[in-house]
Amino acid sequence: MSESLLVVDNVRVAFGGVDALGGVSLDVRAGEIFCLIGPNGAGKTTLFNVISGIIRPDAGDVRFLGQSIVGWPAHRIALAGIARTYQIVRPFSALSVLDNVAVGALAHVRSKREARVRAHEIVDFVGLGPLARRRAASLTLTQRKRLEVARALALEPKLLLLDEVMAGLTPTEMDGMAEFITGLGTRGIGAICGIEHVMRLVMRISQRIVVLDAGKTIAEGNPKAIQSDPRVIEAYLGAPVSEAP
Amino acid sequence: MRKLAVAAASLALILLVVAPLRLNGYFVNLIYITMVYVGLAYGWNIISGYAGYFSFGQITFFGIGAYATGFLINGLHWYWMVAALAGGIVALVLAGPLGYVMLRLRGPFFAMGMFGMAQTVRVLITATPATGAGAGLFLPPGSDVTSVYYWTLAVTLGAIALTLWIDGSAFGLRLQALREDEQVAGTLAVNVTREKIVAFMLSALIAGLIGGGFIYFLNYIEPDAAFSSRLDLQSVVMTVLGGVGTVWGPLVGGVVMTQIAEALWARYPQGYLIVFGGLLVALLILLPRGIVPAVRARFAAADE
Repeated sequence: MSESLLVVDNVRVAFGGVDALGGVSLDVRAGEIFCLIGPNGAGKTTLFNVISGIIRPDAGDVRFLGQSIVGWPAHRIALAGIARTYQIVRPFSALSVLDNVAVGALAHVRSKREARVRAHEIVDFVGLGPLARRRAASLTLTQRKRLEVARALALEPKLLLLDEVMAGLTPTEMDGMAEFITGLGTRGIGAICGIEHVMRLVMRISQRIVVLDAGKTIAEGNPKAIQSDPRVIEAYLGAPVSEAP
Repeated sequence: MRKLAVAAASLALILLVVAPLRLNGYFVNLIYITMVYVGLAYGWNIISGYAGYFSFGQITFFGIGAYATGFLINGLHWYWMVAALAGGIVALVLAGPLGYVMLRLRGPFFAMGMFGMAQTVRVLITATPATGAGAGLFLPPGSDVTSVYYWTLAVTLGAIALTLWIDGSAFGLRLQALREDEQVAGTLAVNVTREKIVAFMLSALIAGLIGGGFIYFLNYIEPDAAFSSRLDLQSVVMTVLGGVGTVWGPLVGGVVMTQIAEALWARYPQGYLIVFGGLLVALLILLPRGIVPAVRARFAAADE
Protein backbone atom coordinates (compact mmCIF):
# COMPACT_ATOMS: atom_id res chain seq x y z
CA MET A 1 0.00 0.00 0.00
CA SER A 2 2.57 2.47 1.14
CA GLU A 3 4.80 3.00 -1.88
CA SER A 4 4.79 6.62 -2.97
CA LEU A 5 3.29 7.43 -6.35
CA LEU A 6 4.50 11.00 -6.38
CA VAL A 7 7.13 12.68 -4.28
CA VAL A 8 7.52 16.43 -4.35
CA ASP A 9 10.80 17.25 -2.68
CA ASN A 10 11.57 20.78 -1.52
CA VAL A 11 10.32 22.43 -4.71
CA ARG A 12 11.07 26.09 -5.11
CA VAL A 13 9.69 28.40 -7.80
CA ALA A 14 10.37 32.13 -7.89
CA PHE A 15 8.65 34.63 -10.13
CA GLY A 16 10.90 37.67 -10.31
CA GLY A 17 12.04 37.64 -6.71
CA VAL A 18 8.75 36.49 -5.24
CA ASP A 19 8.72 32.91 -4.01
CA ALA A 20 5.58 31.36 -5.49
CA LEU A 21 6.69 28.11 -3.92
CA GLY A 22 9.27 28.32 -1.19
CA GLY A 23 10.37 24.74 -0.72
CA VAL A 24 7.26 22.58 -0.76
CA SER A 25 7.38 18.84 -0.08
CA LEU A 26 4.67 16.23 -0.15
CA ASP A 27 4.07 12.68 -1.23
CA VAL A 28 1.02 10.88 -2.57
CA ARG A 29 0.38 7.14 -2.49
CA ALA A 30 -1.56 5.12 -5.03
CA GLY A 31 -5.28 5.29 -4.38
CA GLU A 32 -4.87 8.14 -1.95
CA ILE A 33 -6.94 11.29 -2.12
CA PHE A 34 -4.71 14.12 -1.11
CA CYS A 35 -5.99 17.62 -0.63
CA LEU A 36 -3.97 20.71 -1.16
CA ILE A 37 -5.71 23.61 0.46
CA GLY A 38 -4.85 27.21 0.89
CA PRO A 39 -6.14 30.66 0.14
CA ASN A 40 -6.01 32.18 -3.32
CA GLY A 41 -2.39 32.81 -4.31
CA ALA A 42 -1.01 30.19 -1.96
CA GLY A 43 0.75 28.37 -4.82
CA LYS A 44 -1.59 25.45 -5.54
CA THR A 45 -1.78 26.05 -9.28
CA THR A 46 1.96 26.74 -9.45
CA LEU A 47 2.61 23.38 -7.83
CA PHE A 48 0.30 21.71 -10.36
CA ASN A 49 2.16 23.47 -13.16
CA VAL A 50 5.45 22.13 -11.82
CA ILE A 51 4.19 18.57 -11.51
CA SER A 52 2.61 18.56 -14.98
CA GLY A 53 5.74 19.96 -16.62
CA ILE A 54 4.54 23.43 -17.56
CA ILE A 55 6.89 25.21 -15.16
CA ARG A 56 10.39 24.02 -14.38
CA PRO A 57 11.19 24.46 -10.68
CA ASP A 58 14.18 26.57 -9.71
CA ALA A 59 15.17 23.98 -7.15
CA GLY A 60 13.97 20.69 -5.75
CA ASP A 61 12.84 17.47 -7.32
CA VAL A 62 9.63 15.79 -8.42
CA ARG A 63 9.66 12.01 -8.61
CA PHE A 64 6.91 9.93 -10.11
CA LEU A 65 7.06 6.16 -9.61
CA GLY A 66 10.59 6.63 -8.36
CA GLN A 67 11.83 8.56 -11.40
CA SER A 68 12.67 12.25 -11.48
CA ILE A 69 10.40 14.00 -13.96
CA VAL A 70 11.86 17.48 -13.64
CA GLY A 71 12.66 18.80 -17.11
CA TRP A 72 10.47 16.30 -18.91
CA PRO A 73 8.21 17.82 -21.57
CA ALA A 74 4.54 17.93 -20.59
CA HIS A 75 3.46 15.21 -23.02
CA ARG A 76 5.97 12.75 -21.59
CA ILE A 77 4.72 13.37 -18.06
CA ALA A 78 1.16 12.87 -19.29
CA LEU A 79 2.11 9.59 -20.97
CA ALA A 80 3.81 8.45 -17.77
CA GLY A 81 0.43 8.72 -16.03
CA ILE A 82 -0.14 12.20 -14.62
CA ALA A 83 -3.26 14.01 -15.83
CA ARG A 84 -4.56 17.36 -14.74
CA THR A 85 -7.47 19.73 -15.06
CA TYR A 86 -7.22 23.49 -15.26
CA GLN A 87 -8.70 25.85 -12.72
CA ILE A 88 -9.82 28.22 -15.47
CA VAL A 89 -11.44 25.74 -17.84
CA ARG A 90 -9.70 25.50 -21.18
CA PRO A 91 -11.74 23.38 -23.61
CA PHE A 92 -10.68 23.01 -27.24
CA SER A 93 -13.56 25.31 -28.19
CA ALA A 94 -13.83 24.53 -31.89
CA LEU A 95 -13.81 20.75 -31.36
CA SER A 96 -16.75 18.61 -30.34
CA VAL A 97 -17.05 17.41 -26.76
CA LEU A 98 -16.23 13.92 -28.01
CA ASP A 99 -13.07 15.01 -29.82
CA ASN A 100 -11.92 17.01 -26.80
CA VAL A 101 -11.89 13.76 -24.86
CA ALA A 102 -10.57 11.71 -27.79
CA VAL A 103 -7.36 13.79 -27.76
CA GLY A 104 -6.56 12.35 -24.35
CA ALA A 105 -7.58 8.85 -25.40
CA LEU A 106 -5.02 8.97 -28.23
CA ALA A 107 -2.37 8.36 -25.60
CA HIS A 108 -3.41 4.71 -25.63
CA VAL A 109 -4.83 3.94 -29.07
CA ARG A 110 -3.56 4.50 -32.58
CA SER A 111 -6.56 5.67 -34.57
CA LYS A 112 -9.00 8.53 -34.18
CA ARG A 113 -11.87 6.05 -34.49
CA GLU A 114 -10.70 3.95 -31.54
CA ALA A 115 -10.03 7.11 -29.56
CA ARG A 116 -13.60 8.24 -30.17
CA VAL A 117 -14.97 4.89 -29.00
CA ARG A 118 -13.09 5.23 -25.73
CA ALA A 119 -14.01 8.88 -25.46
CA HIS A 120 -17.68 7.97 -25.78
CA GLU A 121 -17.55 5.79 -22.67
CA ILE A 122 -15.89 8.54 -20.67
CA VAL A 123 -18.22 11.24 -21.95
CA ASP A 124 -21.16 9.07 -20.89
CA PHE A 125 -19.52 8.41 -17.54
CA VAL A 126 -19.26 12.11 -16.69
CA GLY A 127 -22.82 12.68 -17.87
CA LEU A 128 -22.08 14.62 -21.04
CA GLY A 129 -23.30 11.83 -23.34
CA PRO A 130 -26.20 13.77 -24.89
CA LEU A 131 -23.83 16.65 -25.71
CA ALA A 132 -21.07 14.52 -27.26
CA ARG A 133 -21.40 16.02 -30.72
CA ARG A 134 -21.79 19.62 -29.62
CA ARG A 135 -18.93 22.05 -29.93
CA ALA A 136 -17.21 22.50 -26.60
CA ALA A 137 -17.69 26.27 -26.93
CA SER A 138 -21.44 25.77 -26.40
CA LEU A 139 -21.13 24.16 -22.96
CA THR A 140 -22.04 25.82 -19.68
CA LEU A 141 -19.41 26.32 -16.99
CA THR A 142 -20.39 23.21 -15.04
CA GLN A 143 -20.38 21.15 -18.21
CA ARG A 144 -16.93 22.50 -19.05
CA LYS A 145 -15.70 21.49 -15.63
CA ARG A 146 -16.89 17.98 -16.32
CA LEU A 147 -15.23 18.08 -19.70
CA GLU A 148 -11.94 18.98 -18.02
CA VAL A 149 -12.28 15.89 -15.85
CA ALA A 150 -13.32 13.71 -18.80
CA ARG A 151 -10.28 14.71 -20.85
CA ALA A 152 -7.97 13.99 -17.94
CA LEU A 153 -9.61 10.60 -17.34
CA ALA A 154 -9.15 9.68 -21.00
CA LEU A 155 -5.40 9.58 -20.35
CA GLU A 156 -6.09 6.73 -17.90
CA PRO A 157 -3.86 8.39 -15.32
CA LYS A 158 -2.32 6.90 -12.23
CA LEU A 159 -2.37 10.33 -10.66
CA LEU A 160 -4.97 13.01 -11.25
CA LEU A 161 -4.38 16.65 -10.40
CA LEU A 162 -7.69 18.42 -9.90
CA ASP A 163 -7.32 22.18 -9.78
CA GLU A 164 -10.35 23.77 -8.13
CA VAL A 165 -12.87 21.38 -9.62
CA MET A 166 -15.38 22.41 -6.98
CA ALA A 167 -15.29 26.12 -7.74
CA GLY A 168 -18.46 27.39 -9.37
CA LEU A 169 -20.48 24.25 -8.70
CA THR A 170 -23.80 24.17 -6.86
CA PRO A 171 -23.86 22.26 -3.53
CA THR A 172 -25.54 19.26 -5.19
CA GLU A 173 -22.97 19.21 -7.96
CA MET A 174 -20.21 19.43 -5.37
CA ASP A 175 -21.56 16.33 -3.67
CA GLY A 176 -21.53 14.54 -7.02
CA MET A 177 -17.96 15.61 -7.64
CA ALA A 178 -16.93 14.50 -4.14
CA GLU A 179 -18.43 11.09 -4.79
CA PHE A 180 -16.56 10.89 -8.06
CA ILE A 181 -13.26 11.80 -6.39
CA THR A 182 -13.77 9.23 -3.68
CA GLY A 183 -14.43 6.71 -6.45
CA LEU A 184 -11.01 7.43 -7.94
CA GLY A 185 -9.37 6.23 -4.77
CA THR A 186 -11.20 2.93 -4.81
CA ARG A 187 -10.04 2.41 -8.42
CA GLY A 188 -6.44 2.85 -7.32
CA ILE A 189 -5.95 6.28 -8.84
CA GLY A 190 -4.15 8.79 -6.69
CA ALA A 191 -5.46 12.30 -6.72
CA ILE A 192 -4.38 15.70 -5.54
CA CYS A 193 -7.23 18.12 -5.19
CA GLY A 194 -6.41 21.75 -5.02
CA ILE A 195 -9.23 23.43 -3.18
CA GLU A 196 -9.52 26.93 -1.90
CA HIS A 197 -12.43 26.55 0.46
CA VAL A 198 -15.39 24.14 0.75
CA MET A 199 -13.90 22.67 3.93
CA ARG A 200 -16.88 20.42 4.46
CA LEU A 201 -15.92 18.42 1.35
CA VAL A 202 -12.19 18.53 1.94
CA MET A 203 -12.67 16.86 5.27
CA ARG A 204 -14.94 14.25 3.76
CA ILE A 205 -12.92 13.15 0.74
CA SER A 206 -9.30 13.41 1.76
CA GLN A 207 -7.07 11.05 3.64
CA ARG A 208 -4.34 13.63 4.03
CA ILE A 209 -4.16 17.37 3.67
CA VAL A 210 -1.39 19.84 3.09
CA VAL A 211 -2.10 23.46 3.79
CA LEU A 212 -0.22 26.00 1.71
CA ASP A 213 0.04 29.64 2.49
CA ALA A 214 2.15 32.10 0.50
CA GLY A 215 4.12 29.28 -1.10
CA LYS A 216 4.94 27.47 2.12
CA THR A 217 3.57 24.37 3.77
CA ILE A 218 2.10 25.50 7.03
CA ALA A 219 0.51 22.25 8.09
CA GLU A 220 0.22 18.64 7.04
CA GLY A 221 -1.82 15.80 8.40
CA ASN A 222 -5.17 14.03 8.45
CA PRO A 223 -8.37 16.05 8.31
CA LYS A 224 -8.92 15.94 12.04
CA ALA A 225 -5.48 17.25 12.86
CA ILE A 226 -5.73 19.97 10.24
CA GLN A 227 -9.09 21.14 11.48
CA SER A 228 -7.75 21.82 14.92
CA ASP A 229 -4.37 23.21 13.88
CA PRO A 230 -4.13 26.77 15.15
CA ARG A 231 -1.83 27.87 12.28
CA VAL A 232 -4.38 26.71 9.73
CA ILE A 233 -7.19 28.44 11.50
CA GLU A 234 -5.18 31.60 11.59
CA ALA A 235 -4.14 31.49 7.93
CA TYR A 236 -7.64 30.70 6.84
CA LEU A 237 -9.94 32.54 9.09
CA GLY A 238 -7.68 35.02 10.75
CA ALA A 239 -9.20 34.28 14.12
CA PRO A 240 -10.10 31.30 16.27
CA VAL A 241 -13.45 29.74 15.51
CA SER A 242 -16.05 27.89 17.49
CA GLU A 243 -17.71 26.29 14.48
CA ALA A 244 -19.89 23.32 15.29
CA PRO A 245 -19.29 20.40 12.91
CA MET B 1 -26.02 13.56 -51.51
CA ARG B 2 -22.79 11.65 -51.12
CA LYS B 3 -23.32 9.85 -54.44
CA LEU B 4 -23.96 13.16 -56.15
CA ALA B 5 -20.73 14.60 -54.76
CA VAL B 6 -18.73 11.56 -55.90
CA ALA B 7 -20.27 11.77 -59.37
CA ALA B 8 -19.50 15.50 -59.62
CA ALA B 9 -15.94 14.96 -58.44
CA SER B 10 -15.38 12.15 -60.96
CA LEU B 11 -16.74 14.29 -63.77
CA ALA B 12 -14.54 17.22 -62.78
CA LEU B 13 -11.55 14.91 -62.65
CA ILE B 14 -12.21 13.52 -66.13
CA LEU B 15 -12.61 17.05 -67.49
CA LEU B 16 -9.33 18.09 -65.87
CA VAL B 17 -7.53 15.09 -67.36
CA VAL B 18 -8.78 15.63 -70.92
CA ALA B 19 -8.59 19.45 -70.79
CA PRO B 20 -5.05 19.82 -72.20
CA LEU B 21 -5.98 17.58 -75.17
CA ARG B 22 -9.05 19.61 -76.09
CA LEU B 23 -8.65 23.18 -74.92
CA ASN B 24 -6.46 25.92 -76.33
CA GLY B 25 -3.37 27.20 -74.60
CA TYR B 26 -5.08 30.07 -72.81
CA PHE B 27 -7.46 27.79 -70.94
CA VAL B 28 -4.80 25.21 -70.18
CA ASN B 29 -2.64 27.97 -68.70
CA LEU B 30 -5.61 29.28 -66.73
CA ILE B 31 -6.36 25.87 -65.25
CA TYR B 32 -2.67 25.32 -64.56
CA ILE B 33 -2.35 28.60 -62.64
CA THR B 34 -5.53 27.81 -60.71
CA MET B 35 -4.05 24.47 -59.71
CA VAL B 36 -0.84 26.17 -58.58
CA TYR B 37 -2.88 28.43 -56.30
CA VAL B 38 -5.10 25.64 -55.04
CA GLY B 39 -2.13 23.35 -54.42
CA LEU B 40 -0.29 26.07 -52.50
CA ALA B 41 -3.48 26.77 -50.56
CA TYR B 42 -3.68 23.09 -49.56
CA GLY B 43 -0.08 23.16 -48.40
CA TRP B 44 -0.71 26.30 -46.36
CA ASN B 45 -3.91 24.83 -44.88
CA ILE B 46 -2.02 22.01 -43.13
CA ILE B 47 0.27 24.16 -41.00
CA SER B 48 -1.97 27.22 -40.78
CA GLY B 49 -5.47 25.71 -40.95
CA TYR B 50 -5.10 22.47 -39.02
CA ALA B 51 -2.19 23.37 -36.75
CA GLY B 52 -3.18 27.04 -36.44
CA TYR B 53 0.24 28.50 -37.25
CA PHE B 54 -0.79 31.29 -39.59
CA SER B 55 2.10 31.68 -42.03
CA PHE B 56 2.85 34.46 -44.48
CA GLY B 57 5.93 32.75 -45.82
CA GLN B 58 5.11 29.24 -47.06
CA ILE B 59 6.15 30.56 -50.47
CA THR B 60 9.72 30.07 -49.21
CA PHE B 61 9.35 26.37 -49.90
CA PHE B 62 7.81 26.95 -53.32
CA GLY B 63 10.94 28.95 -54.18
CA ILE B 64 13.31 26.42 -52.65
CA GLY B 65 11.60 23.64 -54.61
CA ALA B 66 11.89 25.64 -57.84
CA TYR B 67 15.57 26.44 -57.40
CA ALA B 68 16.51 22.94 -56.25
CA THR B 69 14.74 21.52 -59.30
CA GLY B 70 16.58 23.94 -61.57
CA PHE B 71 19.96 22.95 -60.16
CA LEU B 72 19.23 19.26 -60.55
CA ILE B 73 18.12 19.71 -64.16
CA ASN B 74 21.07 21.93 -65.09
CA GLY B 75 23.79 20.30 -62.99
CA LEU B 76 22.89 16.63 -63.01
CA HIS B 77 20.70 16.58 -66.16
CA TRP B 78 17.89 14.80 -64.35
CA TYR B 79 14.56 14.31 -66.05
CA TRP B 80 12.52 17.27 -64.87
CA MET B 81 9.85 15.36 -62.95
CA VAL B 82 12.48 13.44 -61.02
CA ALA B 83 14.21 16.74 -60.32
CA ALA B 84 10.92 18.33 -59.21
CA LEU B 85 10.24 15.38 -56.90
CA ALA B 86 13.69 15.84 -55.41
CA GLY B 87 12.99 19.60 -55.19
CA GLY B 88 9.93 18.87 -53.07
CA ILE B 89 11.98 16.58 -50.84
CA VAL B 90 14.66 19.28 -50.43
CA ALA B 91 11.90 21.68 -49.27
CA LEU B 92 10.58 19.02 -46.86
CA VAL B 93 14.02 18.34 -45.38
CA LEU B 94 14.93 22.02 -44.99
CA ALA B 95 11.56 22.64 -43.33
CA GLY B 96 12.65 20.38 -40.45
CA PRO B 97 15.31 22.62 -38.89
CA LEU B 98 13.62 25.82 -40.09
CA GLY B 99 10.36 24.70 -38.48
CA TYR B 100 12.16 23.76 -35.27
CA VAL B 101 13.30 27.38 -34.97
CA MET B 102 10.33 29.25 -36.46
CA LEU B 103 7.60 27.28 -34.66
CA ARG B 104 8.87 28.60 -31.35
CA LEU B 105 7.21 31.83 -32.41
CA ARG B 106 3.46 32.12 -32.08
CA GLY B 107 0.57 34.08 -33.48
CA PRO B 108 1.52 37.32 -35.23
CA PHE B 109 5.20 36.75 -34.44
CA PHE B 110 5.21 33.50 -36.37
CA ALA B 111 3.31 35.11 -39.27
CA MET B 112 5.79 37.97 -39.46
CA GLY B 113 8.75 35.69 -38.91
CA MET B 114 7.73 33.55 -41.86
CA PHE B 115 7.26 36.62 -44.02
CA GLY B 116 10.75 37.68 -43.02
CA MET B 117 12.12 34.24 -43.80
CA ALA B 118 10.74 34.33 -47.35
CA GLN B 119 12.25 37.77 -47.90
CA THR B 120 15.58 36.71 -46.41
CA VAL B 121 15.86 33.70 -48.71
CA ARG B 122 14.84 35.86 -51.68
CA VAL B 123 17.53 38.44 -50.89
CA LEU B 124 20.13 35.72 -50.31
CA ILE B 125 19.43 34.17 -53.69
CA THR B 126 19.41 37.56 -55.39
CA ALA B 127 22.87 38.19 -53.94
CA THR B 128 24.34 34.80 -54.89
CA PRO B 129 25.91 34.62 -58.38
CA ALA B 130 25.70 30.80 -58.42
CA THR B 131 21.90 30.98 -58.43
CA GLY B 132 21.86 33.41 -61.33
CA ALA B 133 21.28 36.23 -58.83
CA GLY B 134 18.61 38.74 -59.83
CA ALA B 135 18.64 37.71 -63.48
CA GLY B 136 17.35 34.25 -62.63
CA LEU B 137 18.20 30.62 -63.21
CA PHE B 138 17.64 29.43 -66.79
CA LEU B 139 16.81 25.88 -67.86
CA PRO B 140 17.84 24.40 -71.19
CA PRO B 141 15.30 25.45 -73.83
CA GLY B 142 12.31 23.23 -74.48
CA SER B 143 9.47 23.29 -71.94
CA ASP B 144 6.32 21.26 -72.18
CA VAL B 145 3.23 22.79 -70.62
CA THR B 146 1.19 19.58 -70.81
CA SER B 147 3.56 17.60 -68.61
CA VAL B 148 3.70 20.45 -66.06
CA TYR B 149 -0.09 20.53 -66.12
CA TYR B 150 -0.35 16.83 -65.26
CA TRP B 151 2.39 17.10 -62.65
CA THR B 152 0.57 19.91 -60.88
CA LEU B 153 -2.76 18.11 -61.18
CA ALA B 154 -1.21 15.04 -59.56
CA VAL B 155 0.40 17.09 -56.77
CA THR B 156 -2.81 18.99 -56.06
CA LEU B 157 -4.86 15.79 -55.99
CA GLY B 158 -2.22 14.31 -53.71
CA ALA B 159 -2.51 17.35 -51.45
CA ILE B 160 -6.29 16.91 -51.29
CA ALA B 161 -5.88 13.21 -50.50
CA LEU B 162 -3.35 14.05 -47.79
CA THR B 163 -5.75 16.60 -46.31
CA LEU B 164 -8.60 14.08 -46.34
CA TRP B 165 -6.37 11.64 -44.50
CA ILE B 166 -5.24 14.26 -41.97
CA ASP B 167 -8.85 15.29 -41.34
CA GLY B 168 -9.79 11.77 -40.26
CA SER B 169 -6.57 10.80 -38.54
CA ALA B 170 -5.14 10.88 -35.05
CA PHE B 171 -2.44 13.20 -36.41
CA GLY B 172 -5.09 15.69 -37.57
CA LEU B 173 -6.88 15.59 -34.22
CA ARG B 174 -3.59 16.30 -32.44
CA LEU B 175 -2.96 19.26 -34.76
CA GLN B 176 -6.43 20.62 -34.06
CA ALA B 177 -5.86 20.21 -30.34
CA LEU B 178 -2.59 22.12 -30.40
CA ARG B 179 -4.20 24.78 -32.58
CA GLU B 180 -6.87 25.31 -29.93
CA ASP B 181 -4.55 25.31 -26.91
CA GLU B 182 -0.96 24.17 -27.15
CA GLN B 183 -0.34 23.91 -23.42
CA VAL B 184 -3.45 21.85 -22.76
CA ALA B 185 -2.64 19.61 -25.73
CA GLY B 186 0.78 19.02 -24.14
CA THR B 187 -0.69 17.96 -20.82
CA LEU B 188 -3.00 15.61 -22.76
CA ALA B 189 0.08 13.75 -24.04
CA VAL B 190 0.33 15.44 -27.44
CA ASN B 191 3.97 15.89 -28.44
CA VAL B 192 3.26 19.37 -29.73
CA THR B 193 6.79 20.13 -30.95
CA ARG B 194 6.95 17.01 -33.09
CA GLU B 195 3.43 17.25 -34.47
CA LYS B 196 3.71 20.85 -35.59
CA ILE B 197 7.11 20.31 -37.20
CA VAL B 198 5.70 17.35 -39.15
CA ALA B 199 2.79 19.54 -40.28
CA PHE B 200 5.22 22.27 -41.31
CA MET B 201 7.29 19.77 -43.31
CA LEU B 202 4.25 18.37 -45.12
CA SER B 203 3.19 21.93 -46.01
CA ALA B 204 6.68 22.56 -47.36
CA LEU B 205 6.67 19.35 -49.40
CA ILE B 206 3.52 20.37 -51.28
CA ALA B 207 4.80 23.90 -51.94
CA GLY B 208 8.16 22.53 -53.07
CA LEU B 209 6.62 20.03 -55.49
CA ILE B 210 4.52 22.76 -57.07
CA GLY B 211 7.53 25.07 -57.26
CA GLY B 212 9.46 22.31 -59.03
CA GLY B 213 6.81 22.27 -61.74
CA PHE B 214 6.69 26.05 -61.92
CA ILE B 215 10.33 26.50 -62.94
CA TYR B 216 9.81 24.00 -65.75
CA PHE B 217 6.64 25.83 -66.80
CA LEU B 218 8.46 29.19 -67.07
CA ASN B 219 11.71 27.54 -68.22
CA TYR B 220 13.53 29.81 -65.80
CA ILE B 221 13.03 31.20 -62.35
CA GLU B 222 13.92 34.53 -60.78
CA PRO B 223 13.87 35.41 -57.09
CA ASP B 224 10.87 37.74 -57.37
CA ALA B 225 8.75 35.02 -59.00
CA ALA B 226 10.00 32.22 -56.76
CA PHE B 227 9.34 34.08 -53.52
CA SER B 228 6.41 36.16 -54.70
CA SER B 229 4.49 37.53 -51.74
CA ARG B 230 1.54 38.05 -54.10
CA LEU B 231 1.35 34.32 -54.86
CA ASP B 232 1.72 33.57 -51.16
CA LEU B 233 -0.92 36.03 -50.06
CA GLN B 234 -3.36 34.95 -52.73
CA SER B 235 -3.24 31.30 -51.65
CA VAL B 236 -3.82 32.45 -48.05
CA VAL B 237 -6.80 34.61 -49.01
CA MET B 238 -8.28 31.73 -51.04
CA THR B 239 -8.18 29.41 -48.06
CA VAL B 240 -9.61 32.04 -45.76
CA LEU B 241 -12.43 32.59 -48.25
CA GLY B 242 -13.11 28.86 -48.66
CA GLY B 243 -12.69 27.93 -45.00
CA VAL B 244 -9.48 27.64 -42.97
CA GLY B 245 -8.80 24.20 -41.56
CA THR B 246 -11.43 22.42 -43.65
CA VAL B 247 -10.85 19.74 -46.28
CA TRP B 248 -12.58 21.56 -49.13
CA GLY B 249 -11.94 25.19 -48.20
CA PRO B 250 -8.79 25.64 -50.32
CA LEU B 251 -10.43 24.10 -53.39
CA VAL B 252 -13.70 25.99 -53.12
CA GLY B 253 -11.99 29.27 -52.25
CA GLY B 254 -9.39 28.80 -54.95
CA VAL B 255 -11.83 28.02 -57.73
CA VAL B 256 -14.30 30.73 -56.73
CA MET B 257 -11.60 33.35 -56.44
CA THR B 258 -9.75 32.62 -59.68
CA GLN B 259 -12.98 32.45 -61.63
CA ILE B 260 -14.25 35.74 -60.24
CA ALA B 261 -10.88 37.37 -60.86
CA GLU B 262 -10.78 36.08 -64.42
CA ALA B 263 -14.35 37.11 -65.23
CA LEU B 264 -13.83 40.57 -63.80
CA TRP B 265 -10.54 40.99 -65.60
CA ALA B 266 -12.21 40.13 -68.91
CA ARG B 267 -14.93 42.73 -68.33
CA TYR B 268 -13.14 45.53 -66.50
CA PRO B 269 -9.48 45.25 -67.41
CA GLN B 270 -8.80 48.69 -65.92
CA GLY B 271 -10.48 48.58 -62.56
CA TYR B 272 -10.94 44.89 -61.92
CA LEU B 273 -8.72 44.80 -58.84
CA ILE B 274 -10.87 47.43 -57.16
CA VAL B 275 -14.09 45.50 -57.83
CA PHE B 276 -12.40 42.26 -56.88
CA GLY B 277 -11.12 43.65 -53.60
CA GLY B 278 -14.55 45.02 -52.76
CA LEU B 279 -16.20 41.70 -53.53
CA LEU B 280 -13.72 39.85 -51.39
CA VAL B 281 -14.32 42.13 -48.44
CA ALA B 282 -18.09 41.72 -48.86
CA LEU B 283 -17.80 37.92 -49.00
CA LEU B 284 -15.65 37.78 -45.90
CA ILE B 285 -18.04 40.01 -43.97
CA LEU B 286 -20.99 37.84 -45.01
CA LEU B 287 -19.18 34.54 -44.41
CA PRO B 288 -16.52 35.25 -41.79
CA ARG B 289 -15.59 31.61 -41.37
CA GLY B 290 -15.50 30.93 -45.09
CA ILE B 291 -17.74 29.34 -47.67
CA VAL B 292 -17.41 25.69 -46.64
CA PRO B 293 -18.29 26.14 -42.94
CA ALA B 294 -21.20 28.42 -43.91
CA VAL B 295 -22.64 25.84 -46.32
CA ARG B 296 -22.13 23.06 -43.79
CA ALA B 297 -23.93 25.07 -41.10
CA ARG B 298 -26.83 25.62 -43.52
CA PHE B 299 -27.13 21.88 -44.17
CA ALA B 300 -26.81 21.03 -40.48
CA ALA B 301 -29.63 23.48 -39.72
CA ALA B 302 -31.76 21.84 -42.42
CA ASP B 303 -31.16 18.43 -40.82
CA GLU B 304 -32.59 19.42 -37.47
